[in-house]
Amino acid sequence: MSVLDQLLVFAFMTGAVASFIGDRRFAGTLLAILYFGQFLLLVKLAPLGYGAQPVVSAWQPALFGEVLVWRMDALGWYFALITVVAGWLVTWYASGEWGQGYRERGGNLGLMHTAVAANVVAMLLLLSSGNLLSLFVGWELVSWAGFLLMVMNGRESGGVSGPAGLRYITYATLGAMALLAALAIAHHASGSFEYIDLIDAVDQMTGPTRVSLVIAFALAFTIKMGLLPFHLWQAPAYAYSPGPGGAFLGAISSRVGLWGLAMVFGSLIGIGRIAGIELIPGWFDLRDVFMWVAALTIVLPTFTALRQNDARLLLAWHGIGQGGYMLLGLAAGDALGTGGGLMHVLNHASYQAPLFLAVFAVMHRTGTSDLNRLGGLVARMPLTFLVMLIGIIGLAGLPPMNGFVSKYLVYISLLRQGEPLLFILAVIGTLGTVLSVFKLLHNTFLGQLRVEHMEVREAPWSMLIPMLLMASVVVVTGTAPGLVLDWVASAQAALGLPVLDHTLGGAAGLDMLWVSGVLVYGFAVGTLLFLSGNKSRRVHQFDNYAGGHFLTAENQYQYSDQFYAGLMHHIGGWYRASFTWAESVVIASVDAMSAAANGFFRRTQAVFLLLLATLGSVAWLLWGVGS
Amino acid sequence: MSTTHLLIELVLMPLVAFVVGLAMLLMLRKIGARLQRRVGPPLLQPLFDVIKLYSKRTQVSHGLLHEAGIVVAVGAYVAIETLVPVPGMNGIAEKGGLILLSYLMMVPSLGLALGVGQCANPNGSIGLSRAMTAMLAYDIPFMLVVFGVAWQFQTTNLVELVAVQQAGGIATWGIVENPLLAIAGLFGLQAMLGKQPFEIYVAPAEIATGPMVEMGGKFLGGLFVMQSFQFYTAGVLYTTMFLGGGENWFTFLIKIFVVVAIPLSVAFMFPRYRTEDMVRLVWKWPVILALLGLVVAVQ
Repeated sequence: MSVLDQLLVFAFMTGAVASFIGDRRFAGTLLAILYFGQFLLLVKLAPLGYGAQPVVSAWQPALFGEVLVWRMDALGWYFALITVVAGWLVTWYASGEWGQGYRERGGNLGLMHTAVAANVVAMLLLLSSGNLLSLFVGWELVSWAGFLLMVMNGRESGGVSGPAGLRYITYATLGAMALLAALAIAHHASGSFEYIDLIDAVDQMTGPTRVSLVIAFALAFTIKMGLLPFHLWQAPAYAYSPGPGGAFLGAISSRVGLWGLAMVFGSLIGIGRIAGIELIPGWFDLRDVFMWVAALTIVLPTFTALRQNDARLLLAWHGIGQGGYMLLGLAAGDALGTGGGLMHVLNHASYQAPLFLAVFAVMHRTGTSDLNRLGGLVARMPLTFLVMLIGIIGLAGLPPMNGFVSKYLVYISLLRQGEPLLFILAVIGTLGTVLSVFKLLHNTFLGQLRVEHMEVREAPWSMLIPMLLMASVVVVTGTAPGLVLDWVASAQAALGLPVLDHTLGGAAGLDMLWVSGVLVYGFAVGTLLFLSGNKSRRVHQFDNYAGGHFLTAENQYQYSDQFYAGLMHHIGGWYRASFTWAESVVIASVDAMSAAANGFFRRTQAVFLLLLATLGSVAWLLWGVGS
Repeated sequence: MSTTHLLIELVLMPLVAFVVGLAMLLMLRKIGARLQRRVGPPLLQPLFDVIKLYSKRTQVSHGLLHEAGIVVAVGAYVAIETLVPVPGMNGIAEKGGLILLSYLMMVPSLGLALGVGQCANPNGSIGLSRAMTAMLAYDIPFMLVVFGVAWQFQTTNLVELVAVQQAGGIATWGIVENPLLAIAGLFGLQAMLGKQPFEIYVAPAEIATGPMVEMGGKFLGGLFVMQSFQFYTAGVLYTTMFLGGGENWFTFLIKIFVVVAIPLSVAFMFPRYRTEDMVRLVWKWPVILALLGLVVAVQ
């Protein structure tokens, strides 16, 4: 039994424990310990992150003569590490007061724990899949495990989560069909489900076959990633999942799509071959399509996020936008771009999860995530504020947090390849994110504290510790990105991509150790300068300039609704909901087709159809016998 | 370079920036005075102002974050000054570069925004919303300019950027090689410094000076210091990108003062634009210029 087997068995056990005793009071703590066990087993597999050979599972069940293989390489290990840590910390978060509160509000805590554990198992199975067949099995498990987590929150979300989950599973089914098609093409070309045979067969394929293989794979993986134009399902599905579950989904779940694309761009087909498929010869190839899809995925969902008034939806929309940076880097294809894209997966998980959890901590204390009904909470929940502050600096991609480093690598890659338009779209996405996350922080924690929140307390330690742990990852890997870049470089090597040349402080002329160092130095100087001034006196929030009026508890003295009115005055008309419209057109046409078919088959022409079907079968039989 | 040498530079670079920045603030007020036929303040007035603000008896704080915000706003600029090369001193400029600097320059504004946010005054928050919008507006042409310069010189390293331009003489300066980018950059500078016509976020008569509404004493003093750093940094960055950096302190000071004098002079001739008009203006002319410049650069 290899370590990989131990890990998978342990993950199954965690799931089993969750499903049997998940609703008990102590279950959360026990499960958190079990996840920590999985984490330790992954630590045991850590040589994978530093260039060791893949670990193969001893268990290889056969299915109709085809063998299912599980094998974990550097790329799978990197994603699995993020998955297990996310699962561990969100379960810890749910283990104390949050879980109790959830149960009191009528939520099924045991089911939530089971769903999270099922997601972790499914993702581990997928990430360690060793051939196309186990890939498909893992893919389906991940899809349905995610669905479970999305639809179980009906009561808490006011009935919104159900439709959102159904919309997701519709998209996911489309993706699964595409993956099945890809498998069929691959098997037809190579005669087996092994990766290695497919890699050999790709060279022999005709042009159209190769294009359809790329498109089928890409369709499956981009739908899961929520890339344009398949992004509509994601934000509501993640936002209305039960708190810690939503944080888990937002942090890592959809990134398995990127994992798949990395396999396609790396080992399976190769970015060079994809760039060789020219759509307008010499001008625009298939790789450019991916890059432009990625760039638009950065910009459009980010500016959709800017308009949200619910903190959960705002974050979920940003999750879609951040996926664009990952794909943009990956499709750039060089060591810098793919390194940045892969690193962004860990970075994104490390700030997105605590951001979601911080929002749910605020909801736990105040009962709302409506950005127009909050404000001033920094005075009551300072540590939660700190978590959100670190998270938004990471999400916005400003130094010295880790989000900046991965985006920096992508920017430099675009710069070196001479792609000004893609570069500026990536920058616009970052600027839009800065605006949007500042609104999130301001409307939640800054400004005037509302009268009904005067007595609010800080979130309990059972929620704070996991959040702070994740936030510390954002700071540590921002200061010493080399820690993660080691793993990323191994993943690149496993994929056959060019390997990023890096140091502990960064790559491509950036040394974050120094940058963070001088920032600390600067803040120390700033503090000394501040303290050199005369001593200040704290005043109450009502002791404020109000144009001659006296402020009292009755006054709402806060600016939060339509936060960027001036900007929206200019760009508001550019929001056209075209994708929602397009989706509704597709739904309407499918509806019409099924109604027509229903009428045709079942009512109007039943006898005629029976005759037609009988004739057809007879003809087929005769031909079949004849040939 | 020895460690002692580096440590001296880390102390000296922010200090020089502070002194030169204060002189630029003096220049701002002198230009305004001359245009309005006044004499203007004496030489040391900016320094006296800082000392006065820091030593005032009334120092009103709205909470820890209000104080921390001012510390971040000033402190981040102290850090930034060690990342921009000046004659004879490179500090740690080799560890960062143009892209890092473009993003690092948002950190002081973030600090200010946090500080203003805790003041719980809607005038301040409205000012922040407008300042953020302005940032979204001017950073688009500015980053196009950054891309163009980096592409033209095939580097984002500021030390190399200066070295290449100084080795080739005036003919290789950014402003000669690509005047379109230089003009677009100057346009962006005007908005970045938040001077008229782009100072809607302050709008004293409408929102009571916006972000500054609850600031007094050393809090306002901190913002004063921050602004002097901001003038200096903008001048140095523009000089590094387009005017060949500084061969020596004499030419370097002339260049950065001229660069900063342009937007400051323009400022006194304009009223202010509304937010949406500002966005429209900045997304039109400098972006067009920068894109044309990019075409020239990539050719």
